[in-house]
Amino acid sequence: MIAKVHRLGRTLFGALRVPMARAFASAENPLNHIGALTVFFLWIVLVSGIWLLLFFRTSVSGAFESVEYLTREQWYLGGIMRSLHRYASDAAIVTIFLHMVKEFVFNRYRGPRWYSWVTGVPLVWIVFILGITGYWLVWDELAQYVAINSAELIDRIPIFTDSMAGNFLSDELLSDRFFTLMAFLHLIGLPIFIVFGIWMHIFRLTGPRINPPRRMMAGTLLAMLILSAVYPAASHEQANLAMAPEVLRLDWFYLHVYPLIRIWSPGWVWVLLVGVSSIIVIMPWAPRQKKEPPALVTLDYCNGCERCVDDCPFGAVEMVARTDGTNYSHQASVDPDLCVSCGICVGACPTATPFRSQGALLPGIDLPDRSAAKLRDDIIAAGAEKSSPHVIVFGCRDDAQLKAIEKAGHRVVQVNCMGQLPPSYIDFALSRGHADGVMLLGCQDGDCSYRFGAEWTEQRIARQRDPMLRGRVDVSRVALGWQAPWADNANAVQKFDAFVESLKP
Amino acid sequence: MKRVAEIAMYTAFAAFVGLLSVWPPYTNLDDDRAIISLVFSHAGKRVSECRQLTQEELNELPPNMRTMNDCPRERHPVRVELRSGTEILYEATLLPSGIWADGKASIYRRIEVPSGTHKLFVGMNDSGGADFDYEKSLTMDLAPRRNLLVQFDGQTSEFLIR
Ligand code: HEM
Ligand code: SF4
Ligand code: SF4
Repeated sequence: MIAKVHRLGRTLFGALRVPMARAFASAENPLNHIGALTVFFLWIVLVSGIWLLLFFRTSVSGAFESVEYLTREQWYLGGIMRSLHRYASDAAIVTIFLHMVKEFVFNRYRGPRWYSWVTGVPLVWIVFILGITGYWLVWDELAQYVAINSAELIDRIPIFTDSMAGNFLSDELLSDRFFTLMAFLHLIGLPIFIVFGIWMHIFRLTGPRINPPRRMMAGTLLAMLILSAVYPAASHEQANLAMAPEVLRLDWFYLHVYPLIRIWSPGWVWVLLVGVSSIIVIMPWAPRQKKEPPALVTLDYCNGCERCVDDCPFGAVEMVARTDGTNYSHQASVDPDLCVSCGICVGACPTATPFRSQGALLPGIDLPDRSAAKLRDDIIAAGAEKSSPHVIVFGCRDDAQLKAIEKAGHRVVQVNCMGQLPPSYIDFALSRGHADGVMLLGCQDGDCSYRFGAEWTEQRIARQRDPMLRGRVDVSRVALGWQAPWADNANAVQKFDAFVESLKP
Repeated sequence: MKRVAEIAMYTAFAAFVGLLSVWPPYTNLDDDRAIISLVFSHAGKRVSECRQLTQEELNELPPNMRTMNDCPRERHPVRVELRSGTEILYEATLLPSGIWADGKASIYRRIEVPSGTHKLFVGMNDSGGADFDYEKSLTMDLAPRRNLLVQFDGQTSEFLIR
């Protein structure tokens, strides 16, 4: 059931990818950097916010005037900063939403990955509260609307006895105290929480991508600047509590639930907000996903080289003091709670070599469910049926192209992630006569299911990263076929045929 | 070609952000309506008066709890009614807060009314009886979008309408 939802989501996401792929090289596709883009937008918000802060006055009467001053008198700088501040905050909501949907439809939130997912939820709350308190500070009619409706929401929390809404009903009752509180939350309290929250959110990931590519930063900043210049953010009329605002230009990114406070009631809005948040929080476990056995270290073969630590995208391996009395100072150790069983560590381990003749093929680190020994057997089996030229296709299990190739009648060898395949296996397949060429199929470029599988594979084959493909291997016999952004699977068979053709003498 | 598509993408994104940031407009209140905000916190009278304990009763109590007065903390609920002419705009019995029912009863209500002249009446009972202990009548011309505040001043025990 949930798999069906994922598949449907991937199809919809794919539809978004087609025009994106027209516009961007795949490594530069914004859809592959949504988390990092969000961080970038928050940077814009921070920098522009500091400018606004320099001129902002935290009193009931001063607030509106100081924002007006920035917008009108200082339009060329303050006005632009204000607009940037607003539009980048809005853009962050768009990217947070896409980021979430993407992690969901690509199933990157279950198992040990629950952690980033669950810590994302409080982040969303903080971002929203930050935005809402921001609108409050302008103290125009929109602020008035936000204040009174927020107060009604807060009044529903049963810990306060006096009505907070009472503070926003007349100018006499309104105090600078509230303003100072809001300003504190917006300017200091919540931003600190956001920084801390983001740190928590990516804490477990190795080498998290928090910066988008330069070109993308330039492009988005320019787009936001032009939007700010063409359509600068403006205030409503100054707040006047004796009058209710009539028509408002709501920022729908932040304030979409506010009209529901009137249409339903504050209580039901809470039910909605808390309900949706709770559902999102329990999603990694509902329904439960069968946990695959994590990577296993066999000390007899581990020489403590640390490559598995360098390559594991999930920080699941660490080096610990040697326990078996051998001369090596360290040994690898896997934390089963963090391991997603991608096998990238196996692809990194120098002892995972199919050339070993004596004894069973047991590398220092291995996946029990899809072992290095089985991988060798699969290559031998796939090499047994001869066609000329004979190509063995390796593909990761999440890649739809693999099925298309199989359907077309070709033998494939499946790995969990392309990064699981040690380069020595390619050497083995080619130099031992099991194949005339090998083709590696995997997820979209820049968007590997296991974060770095595709990247490490490319670097190992290009002999830039350990373990490197041996120099004797003719790289023209190795083809990389990362999935096209629009998941055009028929394309895979064409790629295959073209590769076979290129191998013919 | 890619360059053009790239610019188009950024433009579309910026346009989307700019658009939903202000559009569609939201009508908070139609221009022939006004609002009456009823808001106050008030503690109802105590359900029973303090009573002097008799000597026998005092003797039964442990020594550290012997006080001359027995003051039950429970308060009456607060009943409030707001009318325009004969039409009841709002009517409620507000329970005291606190687990001993000894705290203030609070109300905040936003009541939408047509703009124009209203003969307002507001009354409150805080002693459990049938009649209002406090009341106020006032004829007001409510301009469109006017936000009229109806409060109860605990110090003077009077309704304030402004
Ligand atoms: C302020 C909001 C957020 C920011 C700035 C943010 C940023 C990031 C960044 C930079 C990464 C690392 C990407 C990588 O290097 O692979 C990440 C990963 C992740 N985010 Fe967020 N995120 C936010 C909100 C959310 C929300 C709301 C959710 C979902 C409820 C979420 C779910 C995830 C998941 C599941 C991962 C881990 C992906 C993996 O294991 O490969 N994030 N986020
Ligand atoms: S299988 Fe993947 S997640 Fe587990 S230790 Fe190896 S590289 Fe890390
Ligand atoms: S890569 Fe292999 S040999 Fe090196 S530390 Fe990890 S398990 Fe041990």
